[in-house]
Amino acid sequence: MSKIWLIARTTFWRQVRSGTFLLLTFGLPAIMVVAGAIPILRETRATLPAIGIIDRSDLTDPQETFAYDGQSLSVEEFTDQESAEEAYRTDRIQAYLVIPEGYARGERPVLYSSETPSETLRDALEAYLRQSIYPDQPGWMLERFDNPAEFTYTSLESGASVSEGPGVLIRVVTPVVLGLLFALSVFTGANQLGTVIVREKDQRAMEMVITSIKPTMLVAGKVLGMTTVSMAQLGIWSLGALIGLSLAFSGPLTFSPSMIHAEAVLWAVLLGVPGYFLYATLASGLGILAGDQQHARQLAGMLGFVGMTPLYFTGIIAGAPDSALAIAVTLFPLTAPTFGLIRMTLTTVPVWQLATAAGIIVVCLLASVWVVARVFRAAMLMYGQRLSISEVWNAVRLSG
Amino acid sequence: MLQNNTALHVQDLSKTYATVKAVDGVSFEVRHGEIFGMLGPNGAGKTSTIRMILDIIKPDSGQIEVLGGPMNEDKKARIGYLPEERGLYEDMTLLDTLLFLGQLKGLSRAEAHSRAEKYLRIVDLWDVRERKIDALSRGMTQKAQFVAATLHEPELIIVDEPFSGLDPINTRIIKSLLIQLRESGSAIIMSTHQMNRVEEMCSRIMLIDHGRQVLYGLVEDIRTRYAPHAIEVEFEGELPDLTGIAQSEQQNGAYRLLLNEGTSPEQLLKTLVNSDTLQVKRFEELRASLEEIFVQVVGAEAYPQEESA
Repeated sequence: MSKIWLIARTTFWRQVRSGTFLLLTFGLPAIMVVAGAIPILRETRATLPAIGIIDRSDLTDPQETFAYDGQSLSVEEFTDQESAEEAYRTDRIQAYLVIPEGYARGERPVLYSSETPSETLRDALEAYLRQSIYPDQPGWMLERFDNPAEFTYTSLESGASVSEGPGVLIRVVTPVVLGLLFALSVFTGANQLGTVIVREKDQRAMEMVITSIKPTMLVAGKVLGMTTVSMAQLGIWSLGALIGLSLAFSGPLTFSPSMIHAEAVLWAVLLGVPGYFLYATLASGLGILAGDQQHARQLAGMLGFVGMTPLYFTGIIAGAPDSALAIAVTLFPLTAPTFGLIRMTLTTVPVWQLATAAGIIVVCLLASVWVVARVFRAAMLMYGQRLSISEVWNAVRLSG
Repeated sequence: MLQNNTALHVQDLSKTYATVKAVDGVSFEVRHGEIFGMLGPNGAGKTSTIRMILDIIKPDSGQIEVLGGPMNEDKKARIGYLPEERGLYEDMTLLDTLLFLGQLKGLSRAEAHSRAEKYLRIVDLWDVRERKIDALSRGMTQKAQFVAATLHEPELIIVDEPFSGLDPINTRIIKSLLIQLRESGSAIIMSTHQMNRVEEMCSRIMLIDHGRQVLYGLVEDIRTRYAPHAIEVEFEGELPDLTGIAQSEQQNGAYRLLLNEGTSPEQLLKTLVNSDTLQVKRFEELRASLEEIFVQVVGAEAYPQEESA
């Protein structure tokens, strides 16, 4: 057992110190953060321009200035579009809004502007229209019109309460997020194992290692090491996301027990952990079968495709979460962790389905470890060569 | 019958891949305190035999007793292996690699560290211990690999082409380490094509060809058995007319005389000593070199293939 830990530890540190890990773990989120931050920065730096209004509906009561979110929206009324155009050309206004005659019946106002209006300007115009349609109503009433209520739901049986807001959102999306995290971890972690194994085979180090330990121990150590790498990666990403969310909500999120979807967390562990190991074992088996890095990447890509398959069917399953197809993909071991969890957001998944799926995954995991260990023994010393299907079959059948 | 100092006993070992019989009824034993030469042309079945001994692949039939019984996980820690296909983790430092492989062989980290220091100093690699494997020269990597195979001071060591890629100085270092291990009681199996090294270092050999064992025994006995029935003589004076000589040629100041079947070296020596025309300075009954034996037994066609490979 200590040798498995040694292999796992060495695999972990070798991977963590590699450029690929650092790039994927810190570089990719950094790029995403920068890409996401640019429009936000643009938004926060956006100032409200001077606006022209042409009200053909005669419903609004134009105001010359309108305070919104600490800024002032300067408004000038025009009777026709030509004079508004003239004001735009002489730079008195930067955009103008035409409220159509049929506004009350749902016709859309048109904003004429030289550039895409900012989110702030759109929100300010909505608030301006509310205020100018009901100029005499107090602000709180306008707020209520806009958002009549945020409910608290209390169970008459258990007495448990859930309030709308970030908490309930977290609770509702937890299973989906967990399912997606599984798919992501398979894609980034388990599948890397195939290329790690073929690299090790390429480096010819395996023959020395294998004289010290059994192939099963080597596979187990590699799987464990790469799983830890993947978990570390997810941990870093999750921590980053949590910090990001806290900043977005202007302070740390206050957690309450009602925000935790305990059932989803439980099934994420019961389906996700053996499910991840199943992928990792299959990926290492494919890695040893591959003749070179390129072939390993192709095989890993195929396995990754299977891992991400549930995402392509989400639309179909969302429409019929209790259909035969939905049950089938919940029971299929490679799609069970993602789908079982995604369906929990859409419907009440019977416990028997989730328990059966977990059982099938465990059986498949044990079978795959047995098969992969045999294939490993046959293929690990075939440098630069691929095993044919008949050779794989012979390895499984004959190797003791 | 096993001797008390037998480290490895192999009996009737066979292995077939698809339709090719890679190893066919090979039997031999290796003793503690000896270097045993495993010879044979490429593809003869040496590597398959080694891999079966090490439990990397399973034999179809036959018995292998390693260090007193069947192979098990504990015994793996008492065996060292330098494979022909060399390789270490390129992204790891030399020291980390040795610590990792040493611990896999059951050494504690501290013990592995002190052994690594000892052997890296001997092979003059201590100063580059923090260098990554892919930054080492070929010769350095060869030496590092040798240290990795012997760090745990194993009782049975299998080295496949241990001198390949080494310059004469490093060859001498590795050779002395192997002899040191032999003297400390380790049993060493050396597979190589360098016949001069085998003659220098091995007490016994086995030659495999097409999976079959075609020669097995003491190096001296085999060389005598394949002796060409010839003598080499150095003398001062004139060589008289001799009877019973099939062929004579001069080489580096000495005469090599191939004797007829009915002529014995003793008869010839007597004739030369009694001759008035010369004074004998050296008279040596020739034995075959291992290279000559190899070519003779395996077949001359094997060499051109190897040389072109």
